[in-house]
Amino acid sequence: MSRYMLTVAVLSVLVLALAILSLAAGPAGIGVLQGLSDMLHGRETIAATVIGQIRLPRMILALLIGGTLGLSGAALQGLVRNPLADPGVLGISGCGALGAVLVFYTGVSAVWAPALPLAALSGAGLATLLLLALTRGGTLVLVLAGAALGSMSAALLALTLNLVPSPYASYEIMHWLMGSLSRASLHDVLIATPGLLIGSALLFSTGRSLDALTLGEDVAQTMGFPLRAVQWRVVIGTALAVGSGVAVAGGIGFVGLVMPHLLRPLAGGRPSRLLLPSALGGAALLLAADLFVRLPVSGAELQLGVVTSLIGTPVFFWQVWRLRGRPV
Amino acid sequence: MILQTDTISLTLQGNRLLNDIALDVRPGEVLGLIGPNGAGKSTLLRIMAGLLRPDTGRVLLDGQDLFTMPPEERGRHLAYLPQEAPAAVGMSVRDVAMLGRLPHRRTASAEQDATAVQQALDAVGMSAFADRSSARLSGGERARVLLARALAVQAPILLADEPVAALDPAQALTVMELFGQCATQGQAVAVVLHDLALAARFCTRIAVLSQGRLVNIGTPAEVLTDALFADVYGVAVRRCGEVAVPWSLVSSARRP
Repeated sequence: MSRYMLTVAVLSVLVLALAILSLAAGPAGIGVLQGLSDMLHGRETIAATVIGQIRLPRMILALLIGGTLGLSGAALQGLVRNPLADPGVLGISGCGALGAVLVFYTGVSAVWAPALPLAALSGAGLATLLLLALTRGGTLVLVLAGAALGSMSAALLALTLNLVPSPYASYEIMHWLMGSLSRASLHDVLIATPGLLIGSALLFSTGRSLDALTLGEDVAQTMGFPLRAVQWRVVIGTALAVGSGVAVAGGIGFVGLVMPHLLRPLAGGRPSRLLLPSALGGAALLLAADLFVRLPVSGAELQLGVVTSLIGTPVFFWQVWRLRGRPV
Repeated sequence: MILQTDTISLTLQGNRLLNDIALDVRPGEVLGLIGPNGAGKSTLLRIMAGLLRPDTGRVLLDGQDLFTMPPEERGRHLAYLPQEAPAAVGMSVRDVAMLGRLPHRRTASAEQDATAVQQALDAVGMSAFADRSSARLSGGERARVLLARALAVQAPILLADEPVAALDPAQALTVMELFGQCATQGQAVAVVLHDLALAARFCTRIAVLSQGRLVNIGTPAEVLTDALFADVYGVAVRRCGEVAVPWSLVSSARRP
């Protein structure tokens, strides 16, 4: 078995184990199998409600959102050939969250539910397009533009929530900025899943193009991979995947930075070989982080994005450290 | 396959870069593109590779317009080796060469791909380093791996932009000999060169560009005359019959 297949197999088992744990973990002592069986047979028991309404949506969303964040990080890094590219770091998630907040708190999404993911993916898509336009400026310009986008979206998001007459404004700001799955519902799963799956399919389809791009845009184009086609697939794929995730869980950062970084040595440097492992790794990371926030540490539940940021920032520093001294 | 430029011209940002260039590259020949800096050699090669569209004129591959050909088919007919390519960080030498097989992803078997890559690595003398990370190669080795990638395409047309610019004399000779072998095996090779001694020795024909115009094309003996050096490069030539290089440049005074 090749190292790649072994990595994929180990990560798949890990994701499966964490998914089962995610269904089993919680304050109510409920049998997973009993709950699933009751749910499938339409029996309205407490176990069926807890599993079907609370834990299953949370598990599905952690799995899919974590997977797409890892995947979009790997695809973005392959496209701009820069290990600092991540939807959170570059402000893509923040702009998605801003879009979601705008339609959520103006009441548009209450009238028409698909407005929520559409607004989030529009925000994420616009941010990705802007960043791609600036890619030619090099690493420094890309990261600075990302930081500016992130700060701008956070400020506008906070402003929007301050203007909304909500007694929970500061809690809401935390939810959208840091990300959380504590309120995940089946409705959220229905809203987010189409975008998450279509976005993932688009991102997975870029593998060979990203491989060709490792030799530069000219060589890739002469081998039959026009840069523009790859760019559009990554932009639309990232917007769909990140936007749909942000619409229901807020901006969860750093998953797309951490996973490609950890798995790159195992993928042998080929961007196409980084996509699936990064998706599986992202799913495992978010499932694990979501399990961690459920632990009764400080009485109140931690925000999911706090955990991923705590894991991600050291990796970010490490990448910056490695890039020091290189021309920017 | 014959690659032909049919009186192409190109103006970029108000600058006339190429003016009515008509030439062809034929199977079995190494065509050298020479000329002073800024003459338009690399621009012409990029147009021949389908990377730039000329304003007027056409680029024809066996009579078919290059720019209307499906990108994947074009990728199988034509291999392009740029002057500089980014380091494919973390990839093994074999994986870099294997990228050359991407245009064949729907038409070739895994065995055909493996054979083509092995032949390309053998040709550039990098087989022993096949599993080494490309990040741990010297400049010359890296250039040879990138050449192996271009050879692995097994395209009938091979276009190389200053492939020996960063190489020491021994490696430069090896690479030029390799282009000669490619031509012997029926490929049409076009190479942008600054080293006129190499051009004289290895090119079947030489096309001379100056200020975006094709000023001469023919065999090295026909083209590389004292008059050409004076007119195009603005340098005087001293013949020194005994040494391997047939001339040395003795005056660098450029014409105004």
